Amino acid sequence: MNLQITRRSMLKFGLATGTIASLGTTMGCSSSPAAGSEASWSMWSTGAAEDKVWKDFKNYVDSTLKINSTSNLTPSKGYQTKFDLQLASGTTSMVAAVSGTLIPAYAARGALMPLDDLIKADPSFDADDFYADSRKICSFNNKTYALGLDVAPTILYYNKTLFQELGVPLPSAREPMTWEQFHASAKAFTKKTDVYGFTCTPNIDDLMSWIYSAGGDLLNSDQTASALSSEASMKAMTFVHDLFVKDRITPPITNLVTENALSNFLQGNVAYLQNGPWQVLNLRNAKFEWDVVPFPQGPAGSLPRVSGSGFAIPAETKDAETAWKLLKALTSKDALDIYASAGRNNPARKSAATAFVPPPANLGIVQEILDGKLAGGHTFDVTTNWGEIRQLLSTDLPRSFLGQISLEDAVKSFTPELNALIGTHHETMLKTAS
Amino acid sequence: MSTKITPAELVPRANDPATMTPRPPTKKKYRKENVNLTAWLFLLPSFLGFLVFTAFPVVAAAGISLLEWDLFSSPTFVGLANFQKLLTDEGFWASFVNTAYFTFASVPLTIITSLILALLLNQGFKYIAVFRSLLLLPYATITVSVAFVWIWMYIPQDGLINTVLSWVGISGPDWLVSETWAMPALIIMSVWKGFGFGMIIFLAGLQAIPQQLYEAAMVDGASSWARFRNVTLPMLSPSMFFVVVTSVIGSFQVFDQALIMTNGGPGTQTTTLVMSIYRAGFENYNEGYAAAQSLVLFLFILVITAAQFLNQRRLVHYDN
Repeated sequence: MNLQITRRSMLKFGLATGTIASLGTTMGCSSSPAAGSEASWSMWSTGAAEDKVWKDFKNYVDSTLKINSTSNLTPSKGYQTKFDLQLASGTTSMVAAVSGTLIPAYAARGALMPLDDLIKADPSFDADDFYADSRKICSFNNKTYALGLDVAPTILYYNKTLFQELGVPLPSAREPMTWEQFHASAKAFTKKTDVYGFTCTPNIDDLMSWIYSAGGDLLNSDQTASALSSEASMKAMTFVHDLFVKDRITPPITNLVTENALSNFLQGNVAYLQNGPWQVLNLRNAKFEWDVVPFPQGPAGSLPRVSGSGFAIPAETKDAETAWKLLKALTSKDALDIYASAGRNNPARKSAATAFVPPPANLGIVQEILDGKLAGGHTFDVTTNWGEIRQLLSTDLPRSFLGQISLEDAVKSFTPELNALIGTHHETMLKTAS
Repeated sequence: MSTKITPAELVPRANDPATMTPRPPTKKKYRKENVNLTAWLFLLPSFLGFLVFTAFPVVAAAGISLLEWDLFSSPTFVGLANFQKLLTDEGFWASFVNTAYFTFASVPLTIITSLILALLLNQGFKYIAVFRSLLLLPYATITVSVAFVWIWMYIPQDGLINTVLSWVGISGPDWLVSETWAMPALIIMSVWKGFGFGMIIFLAGLQAIPQQLYEAAMVDGASSWARFRNVTLPMLSPSMFFVVVTSVIGSFQVFDQALIMTNGGPGTQTTTLVMSIYRAGFENYNEGYAAAQSLVLFLFILVITAAQFLNQRRLVHYDN
């Protein structure tokens, strides 16, 4: 029996019982006005440097819109849970930052407002100024649900000092290395004790860059089943797996939770780091010389994962007009200039890209890759149930990188459940499309 | 026939309603009613807190467990479908087994450690207050901080534990990524973190044991072990019962350390029930299923605790 209960009635019931029950305990306490009733925006922020960027954002927004907006900052780790609960209780800010990997999940559940009508009705808004990858990340089922904040491909950092010390030739910033060249270059460093050739996190996020570059994918072409067991995907995963288990080019994994490729690289004894340009700011404190080069090219080319984030309007926002103005201000060229010039990440707008400047000397390759002038990239395609899929792939797959089971066995063990989850995603896609 | 009435019968009986005349309430009665009211007023905040933060969530969880609800869109009533799913969910049962493993290993170890330390502290040596405070520190420290310190201690290559083990010729394992050692690693850390609570309760219990009992036992020629077995343990059993009940309940709810130190891995070796509930609710947006899991956990803890209380009369010795 399927009895439909409206969300409103559910919330009313919760509100009524909650109010009665909590009256006694909360009597005398004043409550602040609902966050949604003012020009407020939410963002993740960890540390004083990030807080400063968002303070500058707020000052810019306030002076542009001539308002006194409220920036609700939450440490990145707790941001999503807090945002989920705010969405469920209708207490979100008017505009909220959303990670690109969560946009399909929120959009499919009707939690975000589609922006296409607002975009159409606003001739001053130039959607083409946003990188194509950013527009794709912010869309779901051909509808726009967010405006980009940042977008960037995965790149390869290298420790210049270590290369010079060991006399290994520096990689080219113009021509991506082949996998064979990369393997040989990384392997050259392992001749010295406690020096490693490469570091990345052994999870699906980092593996996807190799899988795309091999011509593989997470989903099959009609998005009905997993493509991780395809020949191309297996080739890519085997290549990375061997770097960990067979060749021992990577530092040993001591903890799957705190395994941090960046901190490994910052030790100064690792030649290459796979990561995004959002780490540039952290690496500027490194005690060695370093630079960036494009991601190595596999059988299908250099196609690293391109990921990003954006700002969106929660579906239940009452004042859509003000929310749209706020959203435009937060993703305007001037605002993204503040973000990029602070070195946080490559901005989602092409016109703001000039603010994301060196060091390192080769930082410009990020924009060249996004513009299609150098190497290449692949938008990080995620599902409407990405959380579940990511969680499933976080169990057996990392075990194979620890050498506890073979890669083939790991893929075999998770494939049935992965196919079921992808099937659920496919059904959601069909339902939301209709 | 005349009936003889004794003088005693002429005196009205105190509790005979027929002979009782209403009397104005005395000061004593007023005071008693006042005391009752005061007690209720003192209990009220706690009772309201229980209603809002315990009873209401349990009832709400029972209701939500019958729904399919992703937190954002309208919920759908699905009856017992979530409970049916639980029966065949290997992940749920794996987390159930992991939690049971954690509980049945960590609770006895914590209690033994607490008892030993309480017995030592009860000896009354110099600077005992300092030692007592130091030993209570792990319990008073928040789990997140402790977990991060233990992550560092468990580093295989140059972590503190493996370094110490290497001094005695033992090659330590890759603690937190080992399929065999990840759960014991969590248990060791949890015992270290939790023994302070039991230790303080036991110490209070030990100090309440009348000294005459030991003296009498010594007069009878009882050895130290006999005194411990026949005097200390029985007299300490109410404290022991309290510590066992609260530790079992706490252990079934283990979450923080597993999330921070291993995130349930490697594989699902350290995934606990509460972690499984958290993931279902906040990562997979399956609120109905999360509520069903939490209800099963609640019922399981209820049954275990009820069984402990039923056995209380047999195992626990009360003075009176």
